[in-house]
Amino acid sequence: MSSTHENIFLRLQRIDRRWIYLVLWLVIMVPLIFPFRIQPRASTPVAQLFNYIDTMPENKALVISVDFTPDTRAELQPMVIALLRHAFTIKRRVGILAMQVYGLGLAEEAIQQVTNEFNSRAQTHEDSVIYGEDFVFWGWTTPLLTVMLGMGERITRVFPVDYYGNPTESLPIMRDLKNYDDVGILVSIAASAMPRSWINFAQVQFGVNLSCGITAVSAADFYPYVNSGQFIGMLAGMKGAAEYEQLVEKRMKNKGMDWGLRNTGTEAMSSQTAAHLAIMVFIVVGNIAYFASRRRKK
Amino acid sequence: MTLSTDPWIWIAAILTLAIFSFLYRENPFYRFAEHLYVGIANGYAITFYWHRILVPSLFDRVGSSSTPLSTKIWLIAIAIIGALYFTRFIPRISWLVRIPIAIVLGYASGASIPRAVSGEIIRQMKATIITRASFANWQSGLWAVIILIGVIATISYFFFSTERRGLLKPLSYAGIIFIMIGFGASFGYTVMARISLFIGRLQFLLGDWLGFIK
Repeated sequence: MSSTHENIFLRLQRIDRRWIYLVLWLVIMVPLIFPFRIQPRASTPVAQLFNYIDTMPENKALVISVDFTPDTRAELQPMVIALLRHAFTIKRRVGILAMQVYGLGLAEEAIQQVTNEFNSRAQTHEDSVIYGEDFVFWGWTTPLLTVMLGMGERITRVFPVDYYGNPTESLPIMRDLKNYDDVGILVSIAASAMPRSWINFAQVQFGVNLSCGITAVSAADFYPYVNSGQFIGMLAGMKGAAEYEQLVEKRMKNKGMDWGLRNTGTEAMSSQTAAHLAIMVFIVVGNIAYFASRRRKK
Repeated sequence: MTLSTDPWIWIAAILTLAIFSFLYRENPFYRFAEHLYVGIANGYAITFYWHRILVPSLFDRVGSSSTPLSTKIWLIAIAIIGALYFTRFIPRISWLVRIPIAIVLGYASGASIPRAVSGEIIRQMKATIITRASFANWQSGLWAVIILIGVIATISYFFFSTERRGLLKPLSYAGIIFIMIGFGASFGYTVMARISLFIGRLQFLLGDWLGFIK
């Protein structure tokens, strides 16, 4: 091996990590400005959750538990938005709560965005999404044991007032949304082990159907629960969100709601692909450099 | 390009860049943004606990004439026990902090352990059992067999009570392979997660702030 090659390999191993940051920055930024088309296909766990909600009986509600904080907003917020769009499209009632104080603002932001999308295009009262009738935002309370167990008996007792300070007993939606018996599925969108707590306290005790949307970091930890049937499907990371967004968009188009809404998860997929390719190149080049220089030393 | 005119967007964008400046090197802008984040996050949480929990569930109820005396006594007793957490700051009586900790631990363990055994151990073990239904189609049958082998092999790798000889040797070796595949999957997902977080910030900077993304 020539000394030029040796220099290249040695230099590659000693490269300032800031150059790698810069390359990644560019690799991620360029496809965001000039995206190439990537249409994610729904994986089995995503399709499972979508199909379950899509065919859920009309008298059952979807409950979304916003169990994450702003640091994981990029991955998880698109899931909350897609779930809300799906439920409102097929006219299913929605209950929203947060198990983290910091999730409250995120939940409210998603509710405002999606209700604006629907209400700004509504022609009739039927098309509108009305607070207290079609959905309710219970807010947050603590401790989690009391919330998860208490909701199995009476939701209004756990949340006597909603996030906006209205007595929950006075909301029409709560007449038929008393406890887990009225819940079709509860989806915990989390960046922690919170979905496991939902299994232990809500499912083991009351048998409520559960699913989860989780950060990609914890996806491998939660697959066993999908396999065991404890979760009906799962959304894993931004890719899971993008897949769900595609299914919801298709569903909305089928119902004549081709609104061209922004899907931030799908939008990010070209950058994700480019970044993954770049990291694969880094790993391959790094390994070649390592083995080449080790052989040289021997 | 349509630059945002919202001052909050500008503040968020500048703070985002301040945090990213750490990638170059540690600097005062990064430290300022970091401290601001920690301070605001704590302030936000404390405010919520005060207004959403302590005021309605304790002060309002204790102060209300409609609350029965027995409930008031319970609430005050619980509040006093909770307040014992603050004895940590007084070395002479700091041992009192053990009382609320013991109550919380006892309550949480009692409520969690039986349910966790049922939800996380028994159900997971059930999922590894192969039944006739597992072979509804060849793919599900194959996966059921792979999961069973994977679970047994991985557990055998952590069986340290005897020397790895005979059947245990190839089994624990297979366990290492399954563990490595698990690590690989976790690493791949971790890369995706970290990239996603960065994409989220870039979507904000390029979209909400600079207006490059519509």
